[in-house]
Order: sequence, then structure tokens, then C-alpha cells
Amino acid sequence: MKEILLSIKRTPYQSLASFLVLFFTVFLSMILFISLTFLYGLLNYLETKPQVTVYFKSNTPENNIFKIRDELSQSGKILSIKYISQKEAFKIYQEANKDNPLLLEMVSADIFPPSLEIYAKKPIFLPEIAEYLKKQGDVDEVQYQKDLVDQLLSLTNFIRKGSLIFFIYLLTMSILVLTTTTLFKIALKKDEIELLKLLGASKSFIRRPYIKEGLFMGFITSLFSFLIIVGLFFYFLPFLKEYFIDVPRLYLNLGMINFNIWPLNIYFFAFVYLLSLIFSCTITTISSYLATNKYLK
Amino acid sequence: MIIFDKVSKKFPLGNYGLEDVSFEIDDNDFVFLVGPSGAGKTTVIKLILKEYQPTSGSIIIDNEDLLSLSFNKISLLRQKIGVVFQDFKILNDKNIFENIALTCKIQNLSFKETKEKVREALSLVNLEDKEELFPIQLSAGELQRVAIARAITGNKKYLIADEPTGNLDPKTTWEIMKIFKKLEGKKTIIIATHNSDIVNSLKKRVLVLKNGKLIKDKRKGGYDL
Repeated sequence: MKEILLSIKRTPYQSLASFLVLFFTVFLSMILFISLTFLYGLLNYLETKPQVTVYFKSNTPENNIFKIRDELSQSGKILSIKYISQKEAFKIYQEANKDNPLLLEMVSADIFPPSLEIYAKKPIFLPEIAEYLKKQGDVDEVQYQKDLVDQLLSLTNFIRKGSLIFFIYLLTMSILVLTTTTLFKIALKKDEIELLKLLGASKSFIRRPYIKEGLFMGFITSLFSFLIIVGLFFYFLPFLKEYFIDVPRLYLNLGMINFNIWPLNIYFFAFVYLLSLIFSCTITTISSYLATNKYLK
Repeated sequence: MIIFDKVSKKFPLGNYGLEDVSFEIDDNDFVFLVGPSGAGKTTVIKLILKEYQPTSGSIIIDNEDLLSLSFNKISLLRQKIGVVFQDFKILNDKNIFENIALTCKIQNLSFKETKEKVREALSLVNLEDKEELFPIQLSAGELQRVAIARAITGNKKYLIADEPTGNLDPKTTWEIMKIFKKLEGKKTIIIATHNSDIVNSLKKRVLVLKNGKLIKDKRKGGYDL
């Protein structure tokens, strides 16, 4: 630690340049990552809602509805389908309005249409499913959140592609700048490196202080970026709470587990920090390795 | 054991640093490498350290042909060779203890072992009380002794010195030579020097180089060009 601090003290401008570039990269990457996380969380949330609801005419025989249900089930695009009969729809209405007797008067099960609540495997299948339903004779109305899902899908796609390009640019820029600043530092210690080689130091021994300094820089930068991100989260918390008022939970599907991202929780923050730490330390290690490699050939 | 077998070193401009040089140095031998400037003394040292690659011939140290060594093996070889450089090569931003401890750090010795070995070496060169000082606070003679202390620290088998008394006054020169005498029989010592007084007084094996050629190899020899 003493050597790391001494090295930073001896080359303050190079160290500051490294810190600023790395901070810029890590901070922006984290912002992009969090934005994508929330967008994917929102997509996942929408997938838990009935994505298409099809209302049939009141006199539609149940067999016709079941036939449509079975055909959809066999298409391979459906996660689940729930049939709501007129009686069930009436029960739901009664439950929803139990505190308002006025709304319950004069209402019978006959006025509620039977319906199917359909959950697609992927939001991309929704327009296709809706089109299919509209062509069926007994269908009265097809409702689905086409615009919202379309917008969210295209936004997520745009941000994902844009992020990837921006991320590659940031990564290249920071590795180049950090390699150059490390080369400056090595140039100042050229004699020491030559001596170490003559004394029998291995490549890893010579690299070690630069890698250690890089890891220290990575740690400080990720901590700094993380603290600012946490600060921003808490600053915008009232706005976020209002925005997600109807959303009880957002999660990210990580294969085997669903990772909670909303409401904000300590695990999410720990995950963000860990990721930023790994990311910044990887950048500094690659840069230190490239810079020292030049002198060890 | 160090073996030079018909070793030549031709530099890019076409001049020879060494030409067809052969000799053997046994373990724990004490050898002076003498000759005028440009004779090839430093070239021999650089070839032993594998700073230079021979143009032809082979160099064998402890049964290892230097030509076929990888970087890692070169590092291990260099860990066995303590070198006292003409310009000392002492790092100014480290104190004396840290400078000498470098070789122990390279060999991954524990801090306790490092402390013992550095203090042992400092005692041998009579600098026990200077370990916390920085190079700028020492005289040229003291710096040369620090360089020797570093060269003998950490289980070195060979001690090679390139003009170790070149910049020193006669009194300090003899103090330095006394240190080398103390190490005689414990390590293989090779000293490249111009100093005829030392060579003539100590009566050790002398390898005489002239224009890159070995012109004399004499046991108990003198400074006789």
C-alpha cells in the first residue's frame, strides 16, 4: 500500500488522468447497465400481466372458445391461457365493487362477456396472436398493450445496441489512456526495471506493482462511481416511487434466479458495486499488463 | 562453473566485442578480467548475464547452455549471479535496506529472512548503521559497498564486479578489495578491472583481453598486458 500511494504521489497528473478516465468509463457504464436492467425489469413485469385479453360475444358457445384456446396453446407461442366464463367475470366484478352496492344492482352475469387471458412466451408474438384472434368469428374485442410493449421493445433494443457501441468505445478509450499513463510511469522507472531484470526478477515480479496500483485505482474508482450512483438513486427516489406506483416488483431474470431490482434493495446495490469493481479492475489490469509487456519483451 | 567455448560477439556496426574466446572458470575461483578500454571485459560480463547474445560459440553456466534459456530461466540464472555495476545502479528513492533487500524480494524470501540476510551483508561491508539512510546521504565508496552488499545477498553463487574500484580513492579501493578477499572460496568471483596495483598484489588468476581476444590466462598472474 505504501508503494502504491508513493507511486501515485510521484506521478500525480498521470494518476489523476487515469482516475478521471476510468471514473468516466465506469460511471457511464454503470448508468447504462442500470438503465438496461430497469428496462428489462419492466419488460419482465409486463410479461406477468395478461398481455392479450380477448372478449367473446355473450352467446358464444364454450366449445368454440375452447377450440380457439387449444389452437393457441398448440402454436408454441403461448405461456398460458386462462378462460374467464361469464359467471367468473361477474364474480370478479362483484368482488371489485363489494363496497359499492349501487353498482351491483341491476347487474347479472349475462352482461359480462366470456374472455381468454393470454400470456405470450415473448412480447414479439403479441401482434401475431392479436391478428389471429381478430379473424375468429365469435370475437367481440381484442385488447392488448401493443403500443407500450412495442415502445418498450424498441427502446430496449435501441439502448442495448447503443450501449454496446458506446461501451466498446469507452472500453477502448480507457484502456488506451490507462496504458499510456502507465507507460509514462514505467518510463520514469525504466532504470529500476532494467536493474530488476539484471537482478533476476521474473516478469510477474516486475509487473506486480503496476498491477497492484491498477487494482487500487480500480477499487477507488468503482467505489467513487458507486457512491455517486447511490446518491443519485436516493435523490430521484420520490420520482421513481411515483413512476413505479403500480409496479409492486421488478426483477431481472438471471437464468436460474429472478433478481429483484425494484423496490431498491441492498442486494441490487451490492450486485451493481461488484460488477463495477470487476469491470474497473479488469480495465486497469489489462492496461497495466499491456504497458509492462512493452518493456518486458 | 562457467564455460566460454569459442565465443564471438559481433556488434551491428561490424566491430567485434569478443572474438573466438574460450575459457573455463571453476566454482569458487577468484578471477581478474583485465585489459585496456574496449578490450571486451564488459562484453564478457554482459554475455554471462545474457544481456548480450553471442554471435557464435556457446556459453555454459552450471551445465545450462545460455543460448537455449527462456526468460524465466534467465531470471533464475541471474538470481544466482550477484553483480556490482560500475555505476553502482543503486535506486535513489529507496533506502539502503530496501536497495539490498531487492534481491531477497525477487527470491521471495520472508521479511524475517530478508532482514537477517541484509544485516549480514551490511555487517560484511561495515555499513551496519546506515541501513535507513538514502543513497544521496552516502559517499561513493559507501555506495560501492552497498552495491557489493546487494550483490552478495540472497544465496548468490557468483559475484561479478565491473570496475568496482573505478571511481574510488586508493584507501577506499583497498577497503573494497578486503571485502572481496573475505568472500574468496565462498563464491566464484570475477572482477573486471584496470587497477594494476590490485591485480599485482593479490596474485589471482588473470584473464587478459585485448581487442576482443583472450591473449593470456594465467594462475597467480599480474597486470601484464
